Amino acid sequence: MGDKIIINPLTRISGFLEIEVNIENHVVVDAKSSGMLFRGFEKMLEGRPPLDAIYFTERICGICSTAHSIASALALENALKVVPNENDSMIRDMIHGCEFLQNHLRHFYQYTFPDYVKGPQINPLYQESYGDYRLPKEINEKLSKHYIESIKYSRKAHKMLAILGGKAPHNHGVFVGGVTVNMDASIFIELKSILASIKDFIKNIMIEDVYIISKYYSDYFHNGKGYGNFMSYGVFDNYYNAPFIYVKPAILINNQRYPFDENKISENIYNAWYKGDKVDILPEEGYVEPDIHKENAYSFIKAPRYNGYPMEVGPLARVWISGDYTRGVSTMDRTIARALEAEKICNTIENLLIKIRLDPTKQEKYPIPDQAYGIGLKGTTRGALGHWLFIENKKIKRYTIITPTTWNVSPTDSNGIKGVVEKALMGTYIQDIKNPVEIGRIVRSFDPCVSCATHITSDKYDHVRIRVV
Amino acid sequence: MFHTKCPIVDSKRTIPRKIVDLAIEYINQNKMKKMNLIWIEACGCAGNIISLLNGEDPDVIYFLNKMVNMTYNNSLMAQEGEKAFEKFLETLDTEFILVVEGAVSTKDNGLYNVIARYKGRLITGMKAVDMAGKKANYVLAVGSCASYGGPSAARPNPSLSKSVYDFLDREVIRVPGCPSHPQWIIGTIAHIISFGKPTLDQENRPILFYGITIHDRCPRRSYFDKEIFATKLGEKECMFKLGCRGPVTKTECPIRRWNDSINWPIGDNTPCIGCARNGFPDAMEPFIRY
Repeated sequence: MGDKIIINPLTRISGFLEIEVNIENHVVVDAKSSGMLFRGFEKMLEGRPPLDAIYFTERICGICSTAHSIASALALENALKVVPNENDSMIRDMIHGCEFLQNHLRHFYQYTFPDYVKGPQINPLYQESYGDYRLPKEINEKLSKHYIESIKYSRKAHKMLAILGGKAPHNHGVFVGGVTVNMDASIFIELKSILASIKDFIKNIMIEDVYIISKYYSDYFHNGKGYGNFMSYGVFDNYYNAPFIYVKPAILINNQRYPFDENKISENIYNAWYKGDKVDILPEEGYVEPDIHKENAYSFIKAPRYNGYPMEVGPLARVWISGDYTRGVSTMDRTIARALEAEKICNTIENLLIKIRLDPTKQEKYPIPDQAYGIGLKGTTRGALGHWLFIENKKIKRYTIITPTTWNVSPTDSNGIKGVVEKALMGTYIQDIKNPVEIGRIVRSFDPCVSCATHITSDKYDHVRIRVV
Repeated sequence: MFHTKCPIVDSKRTIPRKIVDLAIEYINQNKMKKMNLIWIEACGCAGNIISLLNGEDPDVIYFLNKMVNMTYNNSLMAQEGEKAFEKFLETLDTEFILVVEGAVSTKDNGLYNVIARYKGRLITGMKAVDMAGKKANYVLAVGSCASYGGPSAARPNPSLSKSVYDFLDREVIRVPGCPSHPQWIIGTIAHIISFGKPTLDQENRPILFYGITIHDRCPRRSYFDKEIFATKLGEKECMFKLGCRGPVTKTECPIRRWNDSINWPIGDNTPCIGCARNGFPDAMEPFIRY
């Protein structure tokens, strides 16, 4: 008889996640991840004015709202046949870059750090009862100060975002046709100055901190692997990003590179709490009704697959595809990739600031067609984000959103293929079953955002010994 | 008391910095014990805790160090699993402030928003808000979902979400905004711990922050008065004809502004969408009127 471990809440993520693993002889033999929140944004969007989708979909997520504004604006531009001009596109890239910085700083210091570093002695950031803290006292003290210091820099990243986008979270400046800000010299120099201080922190402190952690927790290079199949929709890959073009849309399966084809995306609802007369649903088919009483289902996260494959998305996927990092695939590689990406994004924004012109925005009045279809795909902080939009009678008829966390934290599909996080947990050696620190560390390396992935779970456990931690 | 004068005169100069300073002084002089605080993220986007992290002067560390003893919050707490939820339960028998962000999802007895599992049982957001709401000394509904239902309850409201105000049968202070401004949250709590409950308006919002419409203090007001209107986003004139909700939305955004007071939606040449107002988002649409 094995042990079943359930962790809920898996804190220090955005939203609610339950992780359940079965363990035999200290090794994880089965794993399930369940999203615990459902709001039904896709349903709510039906019938709304199309242009409102940008500000509306931002409300899906408090930590990555800009990602949704960008994907939504892209889908609308695709549907309305609007092409933003170069300067406005560059400014929009900068806004997006600011969110990367805010998000990566907060994920590393506020969400990941407490797994490895004894926090500052402030409630609720600190805990006494946890076992596996390995940093020598002086080093721990230094890093614990960085936890506090980092808050200033993630705040400043949001300040930069607000300079260009009005406010953060939930900016107003990303819109169809580009942005709404009129660049001037004072904005330009203010951004430059703030960015310099953030870059200094990331380059000299955050990168060092992540390597210190990786040194003392080097066993985490050997767990949390997952499939090692990666997907990118592309981000910071326009000609104007040169010489810092980051990553193009691409697929990496078993280390083989393939061109990305959006028609190969489908969502499997076999183990997800949704009604449907078939298990594979295409993005353009739209909303399916939730069904909490569906047998066997254990998550309201659907299972998106690319040509049948579960794909890992996010910083590690991007640096592998771009070729910037190929050391390995593991919990620690994922965490290092995020920090390295943060530094890279500083260069991206810096480069855009060199190229930007002090031009007023080129906003227009956008007439809404009677009928249209648009797709917005973009690499965002946590990975590949897609918005699919149908307009009919000048209103939104259908709206489908597939978030990065849906890719990473999907349930097992009808072919028995596990989600990426589930796979990453399989085979993990759990040192102390009463204190299974490995699980949270592995799951958090994916930076899950369940607010984005919108789901639910049920209450059926009738076998094996359950150990809730 | 600071709110006895006209809020226009009083606003940014005195609030909440002065209140915060006094509260901290009292705590330091041991005249006051740091009060426990539970922050529940219920059915929403967790954007209010992110907004709190954007607080400046006081920042979130100052807030946690000097003003309150936060015992439970999903985004920030070091602990996880049952040990985390035990912190929640332990706090219920103390004097505490309850902050809820997100709405209360009531569909299928709350199962669309599960925040923990304890002794094998699922704890829904609804259950947690009910448990803590009954015992808290003060309840703050932070953000528009907790205050009014907000985006989580947008039609057709698939999760049957309700505001905390409507769900709990007790006094709830509303601190709306999508998200709420960090200084509205910290300022309201500062008032509570040093002077007790702030003066509230008819909708139970602190009049310190929600006393006057955006339109009344809008820097583009002179354009409105002269009937000079913007025709599209990105222009400098009054955006009333683009659907600006400043005339019906009461916040101090024009003065406080956002993110270290650097900018705000109207400053970014876009209309106010009434995100802090009852009825947002459904009653505020279209956000952009073309």
